[in-house]
Amino acid sequence: MKNTKLQFLVGLFVLLGIGAIAYLTLKVGTGSLIQGETCQIESRFANAGGLHPGSSVLMSGVTVGRVEAVRMEPSDFSAIVTMKITSVLHLPTDTMASIKTSGLIGDKYVSLSPGADETILKPGERITLTESAVDLESLIGKMAFGSVDKGTNSKEKNIPTNP
Amino acid sequence: MKKLVLTSLLIGLLTGFVHAANDAAENRLKSSVNEVVYIVKQAKSRDALIADIKPPLEKILNFGVMTRRSIGPAWKQLTPAQQQEATKLFTVMILRTYTAKFTPGEFPQVDFKTSSSTAPGRVEVPTTAMYKGSCYDAVYRMEDQNGNWTITDVVIEGVSLVADYRSQFDSEFKRGGTEGLLSAMRRSAAENK
Repeated sequence: MKNTKLQFLVGLFVLLGIGAIAYLTLKVGTGSLIQGETCQIESRFANAGGLHPGSSVLMSGVTVGRVEAVRMEPSDFSAIVTMKITSVLHLPTDTMASIKTSGLIGDKYVSLSPGADETILKPGERITLTESAVDLESLIGKMAFGSVDKGTNSKEKNIPTNP
Repeated sequence: MKKLVLTSLLIGLLTGFVHAANDAAENRLKSSVNEVVYIVKQAKSRDALIADIKPPLEKILNFGVMTRRSIGPAWKQLTPAQQQEATKLFTVMILRTYTAKFTPGEFPQVDFKTSSSTAPGRVEVPTTAMYKGSCYDAVYRMEDQNGNWTITDVVIEGVSLVADYRSQFDSEFKRGGTEGLLSAMRRSAAENK
Protein backbone atom coordinates (compact mmCIF):
# COMPACT_ATOMS: atom_id res chain seq x y z
CA MET A 1 0.00 0.00 0.00
CA LYS A 2 2.86 2.29 1.01
CA ASN A 3 4.68 1.38 -2.22
CA THR A 4 1.68 2.34 -4.40
CA LYS A 5 1.43 5.75 -2.74
CA LEU A 6 5.11 6.43 -3.33
CA GLN A 7 4.80 5.40 -6.99
CA PHE A 8 1.80 7.69 -7.39
CA LEU A 9 3.68 10.65 -5.90
CA VAL A 10 6.73 10.08 -8.13
CA GLY A 11 4.47 9.82 -11.18
CA LEU A 12 2.70 13.05 -10.23
CA PHE A 13 6.03 14.83 -9.72
CA VAL A 14 7.29 13.69 -13.15
CA LEU A 15 4.06 14.83 -14.80
CA LEU A 16 4.26 18.22 -13.11
CA GLY A 17 7.89 18.56 -14.27
CA ILE A 18 6.97 17.75 -17.89
CA GLY A 19 4.07 20.22 -17.70
CA ALA A 20 6.36 22.98 -16.39
CA ILE A 21 8.95 22.36 -19.15
CA ALA A 22 6.23 22.42 -21.84
CA TYR A 23 4.75 25.66 -20.44
CA LEU A 24 8.12 27.41 -20.28
CA THR A 25 9.11 26.24 -23.79
CA LEU A 26 5.90 27.62 -25.27
CA LYS A 27 5.90 30.86 -23.30
CA VAL A 28 9.59 31.71 -23.75
CA GLY A 29 9.49 30.70 -27.42
CA THR A 30 6.69 33.06 -28.31
CA GLY A 31 7.86 35.86 -26.08
CA SER A 32 4.86 35.86 -23.78
CA LEU A 33 7.11 36.31 -20.77
CA ILE A 34 7.69 39.98 -21.60
CA GLN A 35 6.12 41.79 -18.73
CA GLY A 36 3.42 44.41 -19.05
CA GLU A 37 1.50 45.51 -22.11
CA THR A 38 2.96 44.96 -25.53
CA CYS A 39 2.35 46.48 -28.95
CA GLN A 40 3.08 45.34 -32.47
CA ILE A 41 5.43 47.09 -34.88
CA GLU A 42 6.74 46.03 -38.26
CA SER A 43 10.13 46.34 -39.85
CA ARG A 44 11.16 45.98 -43.47
CA PHE A 45 14.45 44.21 -44.26
CA ALA A 46 16.13 43.38 -47.56
CA ASN A 47 17.39 40.17 -45.95
CA ALA A 48 16.01 38.69 -42.72
CA GLY A 49 18.22 35.58 -42.89
CA GLY A 50 18.34 33.61 -39.64
CA LEU A 51 15.54 35.51 -37.92
CA HIS A 52 12.55 33.42 -36.80
CA PRO A 53 9.43 33.82 -34.63
CA GLY A 54 10.62 33.98 -31.03
CA SER A 55 13.94 35.75 -31.81
CA SER A 56 14.79 38.47 -29.30
CA VAL A 57 14.37 42.20 -29.84
CA LEU A 58 17.00 44.10 -27.86
CA MET A 59 17.56 47.74 -27.08
CA SER A 60 20.79 48.77 -25.32
CA GLY A 61 21.30 45.06 -24.61
CA VAL A 62 17.96 44.72 -22.79
CA THR A 63 15.27 42.39 -24.16
CA VAL A 64 12.29 44.59 -24.99
CA GLY A 65 10.36 42.24 -27.24
CA ARG A 66 10.20 39.21 -29.49
CA VAL A 67 9.78 38.56 -33.20
CA GLU A 68 6.25 37.38 -33.87
CA ALA A 69 6.34 36.61 -37.56
CA VAL A 70 8.57 36.89 -40.63
CA ARG A 71 6.82 37.14 -43.99
CA MET A 72 7.53 38.09 -47.56
CA GLU A 73 6.25 41.33 -49.15
CA PRO A 74 5.33 40.20 -52.66
CA SER A 75 5.48 43.71 -54.20
CA ASP A 76 9.25 44.17 -53.75
CA PHE A 77 10.37 40.78 -52.38
CA SER A 78 11.50 42.27 -49.09
CA ALA A 79 11.09 40.59 -45.69
CA ILE A 80 8.58 42.07 -43.25
CA VAL A 81 9.28 41.25 -39.63
CA THR A 82 6.45 41.69 -37.11
CA MET A 83 7.66 42.31 -33.56
CA LYS A 84 5.87 42.50 -30.25
CA ILE A 85 7.56 45.04 -28.01
CA THR A 86 6.79 46.41 -24.60
CA SER A 87 4.47 49.40 -25.02
CA VAL A 88 6.16 51.57 -22.37
CA LEU A 89 8.80 52.39 -25.01
CA HIS A 90 7.90 55.39 -27.13
CA LEU A 91 10.09 54.82 -30.16
CA PRO A 92 10.81 57.80 -32.45
CA THR A 93 9.93 57.29 -36.12
CA ASP A 94 13.62 57.30 -37.12
CA THR A 95 14.39 54.29 -34.91
CA MET A 96 16.86 51.97 -36.61
CA ALA A 97 16.28 48.20 -36.58
CA SER A 98 19.35 46.06 -37.29
CA ILE A 99 19.68 42.29 -37.49
CA LYS A 100 22.70 41.28 -35.40
CA THR A 101 24.29 38.01 -34.36
CA SER A 102 25.23 37.03 -30.81
CA GLY A 103 28.90 36.18 -31.26
CA LEU A 104 30.20 34.93 -34.60
CA ILE A 105 27.85 32.02 -35.17
CA GLY A 106 25.20 32.70 -32.54
CA ASP A 107 21.49 33.37 -32.82
CA LYS A 108 20.19 36.31 -34.80
CA TYR A 109 18.30 39.06 -33.00
CA VAL A 110 16.84 42.48 -33.81
CA SER A 111 18.62 45.43 -32.25
CA LEU A 112 16.64 48.68 -31.96
CA SER A 113 18.45 51.98 -31.73
CA PRO A 114 16.29 55.06 -31.09
CA GLY A 115 16.62 58.20 -33.19
CA ALA A 116 15.87 61.86 -32.58
CA ASP A 117 12.53 62.44 -34.36
CA GLU A 118 9.78 64.21 -32.45
CA THR A 119 7.14 61.89 -33.93
CA ILE A 120 6.57 58.52 -32.26
CA LEU A 121 5.94 55.15 -33.93
CA LYS A 122 2.33 54.11 -33.40
CA PRO A 123 1.31 50.45 -32.89
CA GLY A 124 1.25 48.67 -36.24
CA GLU A 125 3.51 51.21 -37.96
CA ARG A 126 6.63 50.20 -39.85
CA ILE A 127 10.31 50.96 -39.23
CA THR A 128 11.87 51.77 -42.60
CA LEU A 129 15.41 52.54 -41.42
CA THR A 130 16.84 49.05 -41.18
CA GLU A 131 20.07 47.13 -41.51
CA SER A 132 19.75 43.60 -42.83
CA ALA A 133 21.77 40.62 -41.69
CA VAL A 134 25.35 41.10 -42.94
CA ASP A 135 26.26 38.23 -45.20
CA LEU A 136 29.60 37.25 -43.64
CA GLU A 137 30.26 34.49 -46.16
CA SER A 138 30.04 36.80 -49.17
CA LEU A 139 32.20 39.45 -47.45
CA ILE A 140 34.87 36.83 -46.59
CA GLY A 141 34.60 35.53 -50.15
CA LYS A 142 35.23 39.00 -51.60
CA MET A 143 38.25 39.48 -49.32
CA ALA A 144 39.67 36.02 -49.91
CA PHE A 145 39.15 35.65 -53.63
CA GLY A 146 38.91 39.26 -54.80
CA SER A 147 36.47 40.35 -57.45
CA VAL A 148 36.02 38.91 -60.90
CA ASP A 149 35.68 42.38 -62.46
CA LYS A 150 39.36 43.35 -62.46
CA GLY A 151 39.56 42.89 -66.23
CA THR A 152 36.64 45.24 -66.82
CA ASN A 153 38.19 47.89 -64.61
CA SER A 154 41.57 47.81 -66.32
CA LYS A 155 39.74 48.46 -69.58
CA GLU A 156 37.90 51.36 -67.97
CA LYS A 157 41.18 52.94 -66.99
CA ASN A 158 42.08 53.14 -70.67
CA ILE A 159 38.98 55.12 -71.54
CA PRO A 160 40.06 58.66 -72.42
CA THR A 161 39.14 61.13 -69.68
CA ASN A 162 37.76 63.70 -72.10
CA PRO A 163 33.95 63.61 -72.33
CA MET B 1 -19.86 47.65 -59.67
CA LYS B 2 -19.35 51.34 -58.95
CA LYS B 3 -17.33 50.43 -55.87
CA LEU B 4 -15.12 48.13 -57.94
CA VAL B 5 -14.46 50.83 -60.53
CA LEU B 6 -13.69 53.40 -57.81
CA THR B 7 -11.36 50.99 -55.99
CA SER B 8 -9.55 50.13 -59.22
CA LEU B 9 -9.21 53.85 -60.01
CA LEU B 10 -7.84 54.56 -56.53
CA ILE B 11 -5.35 51.68 -56.72
CA GLY B 12 -4.33 52.82 -60.20
CA LEU B 13 -3.80 56.40 -58.99
CA LEU B 14 -1.82 55.28 -55.94
CA THR B 15 0.36 52.96 -58.05
CA GLY B 16 0.88 55.87 -60.43
CA PHE B 17 1.95 58.16 -57.56
CA VAL B 18 4.35 55.53 -56.17
CA HIS B 19 5.92 55.00 -59.61
CA ALA B 20 6.19 58.76 -60.16
CA ALA B 21 7.91 59.15 -56.76
CA ASN B 22 10.30 56.29 -57.50
CA ASP B 23 11.14 57.77 -60.90
CA ALA B 24 11.67 61.28 -59.49
CA ALA B 25 14.02 60.00 -56.76
CA GLU B 26 15.87 57.71 -59.17
CA ASN B 27 16.34 60.46 -61.77
CA ARG B 28 17.58 62.90 -59.14
CA LEU B 29 20.10 60.33 -57.88
CA LYS B 30 21.22 59.40 -61.39
CA SER B 31 21.93 63.01 -62.37
CA SER B 32 23.88 63.62 -59.14
CA VAL B 33 25.91 60.42 -59.51
CA ASN B 34 26.70 61.30 -63.13
CA GLU B 35 27.79 64.77 -62.02
CA VAL B 36 30.08 63.32 -59.32
CA VAL B 37 31.53 60.69 -61.69
CA TYR B 38 32.26 63.42 -64.26
CA ILE B 39 34.03 65.54 -61.60
CA VAL B 40 36.12 62.56 -60.43
CA LYS B 41 36.98 61.77 -64.05
CA GLN B 42 38.12 65.34 -64.77
CA ALA B 43 39.95 66.02 -61.50
CA LYS B 44 43.68 66.59 -61.79
CA SER B 45 44.52 66.55 -58.07
CA ARG B 46 42.90 65.55 -54.78
CA ASP B 47 42.50 69.16 -53.63
CA ALA B 48 40.75 70.10 -56.87
CA LEU B 49 38.54 67.02 -56.50
CA ILE B 50 37.53 68.00 -52.95
CA ALA B 51 36.73 71.57 -54.02
CA ASP B 52 34.69 70.51 -57.08
CA ILE B 53 32.82 67.61 -55.51
CA LYS B 54 31.53 69.60 -52.51
CA PRO B 55 28.68 71.61 -54.20
CA PRO B 56 26.88 68.65 -55.87
CA LEU B 57 27.22 66.53 -52.71
CA GLU B 58 25.86 69.33 -50.54
CA LYS B 59 22.86 69.53 -52.87
CA ILE B 60 21.96 65.82 -52.85
CA LEU B 61 22.99 64.77 -49.33
CA ASN B 62 20.66 66.00 -46.58
CA PHE B 63 23.28 66.75 -43.93
CA GLY B 64 20.74 68.20 -41.47
CA VAL B 65 18.66 65.01 -41.32
CA MET B 66 21.75 62.76 -41.48
CA THR B 67 23.40 64.53 -38.52
CA ARG B 68 20.22 64.46 -36.41
CA ARG B 69 19.64 60.77 -37.09
CA SER B 70 23.31 59.85 -36.61
CA ILE B 71 23.49 61.57 -33.23
CA GLY B 72 20.19 59.96 -32.18
CA PRO B 73 18.65 60.63 -28.74
CA ALA B 74 21.58 62.91 -27.76
CA TRP B 75 20.41 65.43 -30.40
CA LYS B 76 17.64 66.68 -28.10
CA GLN B 77 20.19 67.43 -25.38
CA LEU B 78 22.17 69.79 -27.65
CA THR B 79 21.47 73.52 -27.72
CA PRO B 80 20.54 75.01 -31.15
CA ALA B 81 24.11 76.41 -31.42
CA GLN B 82 25.59 72.99 -30.61
CA GLN B 83 23.25 71.36 -33.15
CA GLN B 84 24.51 73.77 -35.82
CA GLU B 85 28.12 73.05 -34.93
CA ALA B 86 27.46 69.28 -34.95
CA THR B 87 25.90 69.54 -38.43
CA LYS B 88 28.93 71.49 -39.73
CA LEU B 89 31.39 68.98 -38.22
CA PHE B 90 29.43 66.01 -39.56
CA THR B 91 29.36 67.57 -43.04
CA VAL B 92 33.17 67.93 -42.95
CA MET B 93 33.57 64.33 -41.76
CA ILE B 94 31.33 62.90 -44.47
CA LEU B 95 32.79 64.99 -47.30
CA ARG B 96 36.37 64.10 -46.33
CA THR B 97 35.59 60.39 -45.92
CA TYR B 98 33.71 60.35 -49.22
CA THR B 99 36.37 62.13 -51.25
CA ALA B 100 39.18 60.06 -49.66
CA LYS B 101 37.73 56.99 -51.41
CA PHE B 102 38.29 58.47 -54.87
CA THR B 103 41.49 58.69 -56.86
CA PRO B 104 41.41 61.61 -59.33
CA GLY B 105 40.97 60.29 -62.87
CA GLU B 106 39.67 56.86 -61.83
CA PHE B 107 35.91 56.75 -61.92
CA PRO B 108 33.38 54.19 -60.67
CA GLN B 109 30.82 52.51 -62.88
CA VAL B 110 27.42 52.67 -61.19
CA ASP B 111 24.49 50.45 -62.18
CA PHE B 112 21.03 51.35 -60.90
CA LYS B 113 18.54 48.63 -59.95
CA THR B 114 14.77 48.90 -59.52
CA SER B 115 13.89 51.31 -56.75
CA SER B 116 11.19 50.64 -54.16
CA SER B 117 9.01 52.86 -52.03
CA THR B 118 9.26 51.97 -48.32
CA ALA B 119 6.76 54.57 -47.06
CA PRO B 120 5.06 57.68 -48.48
CA GLY B 121 7.85 60.11 -49.42
CA ARG B 122 10.60 57.52 -48.90
CA VAL B 123 12.34 55.61 -51.66
CA GLU B 124 15.26 53.17 -51.64
CA VAL B 125 17.44 53.00 -54.75
CA PRO B 126 19.73 49.96 -54.83
CA THR B 127 22.91 50.31 -56.92
CA THR B 128 26.04 48.37 -57.71
CA ALA B 129 29.28 50.31 -57.97
CA MET B 130 32.36 48.90 -59.64
CA TYR B 131 35.52 50.66 -58.60
CA LYS B 132 39.18 49.65 -58.68
CA GLY B 133 38.35 46.01 -59.40
CA SER B 134 35.84 45.62 -56.59
CA CYS B 135 32.09 45.49 -56.70
CA TYR B 136 30.07 47.16 -53.94
CA ASP B 137 26.34 47.05 -53.24
CA ALA B 138 25.05 50.42 -52.13
CA VAL B 139 21.45 51.36 -51.30
CA TYR B 140 20.58 55.05 -51.28
CA ARG B 141 17.73 55.97 -48.92
CA MET B 142 16.02 59.06 -50.29
CA GLU B 143 13.31 61.26 -48.82
CA ASP B 144 11.06 63.87 -50.33
CA GLN B 145 11.68 67.19 -48.59
CA ASN B 146 9.10 69.62 -50.00
CA GLY B 147 9.39 68.26 -53.52
CA ASN B 148 13.17 67.91 -53.39
CA TRP B 149 14.51 64.35 -53.20
CA THR B 150 17.61 64.10 -51.02
CA ILE B 151 19.74 61.26 -49.67
CA THR B 152 19.26 60.66 -45.94
CA ASP B 153 21.24 57.42 -45.56
CA VAL B 154 23.56 55.19 -47.56
CA VAL B 155 23.74 51.44 -46.88
CA ILE B 156 26.97 49.94 -48.19
CA GLU B 157 27.25 46.14 -48.17
CA GLY B 158 24.42 46.01 -45.63
CA VAL B 159 25.99 48.54 -43.24
CA SER B 160 24.08 51.77 -42.79
CA LEU B 161 26.07 55.01 -42.51
CA VAL B 162 23.55 56.47 -40.05
CA ALA B 163 23.48 53.31 -37.88
CA ASP B 164 27.27 53.11 -37.83
CA TYR B 165 27.71 56.74 -36.74
CA ARG B 166 24.77 56.50 -34.32
CA SER B 167 26.43 53.69 -32.34
CA GLN B 168 29.73 55.63 -32.23
CA PHE B 169 28.15 58.96 -31.27
CA ASP B 170 25.92 57.29 -28.70
CA SER B 171 28.87 55.74 -26.87
CA GLU B 172 30.72 59.11 -26.96
CA PHE B 173 27.64 60.83 -25.52
CA LYS B 174 27.23 58.22 -22.77
CA ARG B 175 30.92 58.58 -21.89
CA GLY B 176 31.31 62.35 -21.94
CA GLY B 177 27.89 63.97 -22.36
CA THR B 178 27.19 66.64 -25.00
CA GLU B 179 30.66 68.22 -24.63
CA GLY B 180 32.33 64.80 -24.95
CA LEU B 181 30.31 64.10 -28.10
CA LEU B 182 31.16 67.47 -29.69
CA SER B 183 34.87 67.24 -28.84
CA ALA B 184 34.97 63.71 -30.36
CA MET B 185 33.35 65.12 -33.52
CA ARG B 186 35.80 68.08 -33.58
CA ARG B 187 38.72 65.65 -33.23
CA SER B 188 37.41 63.41 -36.00
CA ALA B 189 36.77 66.36 -38.37
CA ALA B 190 40.28 67.71 -37.69
CA GLU B 191 41.91 64.28 -38.22
CA ASN B 192 40.21 63.93 -41.57
CA LYS B 193 41.78 67.12 -42.88
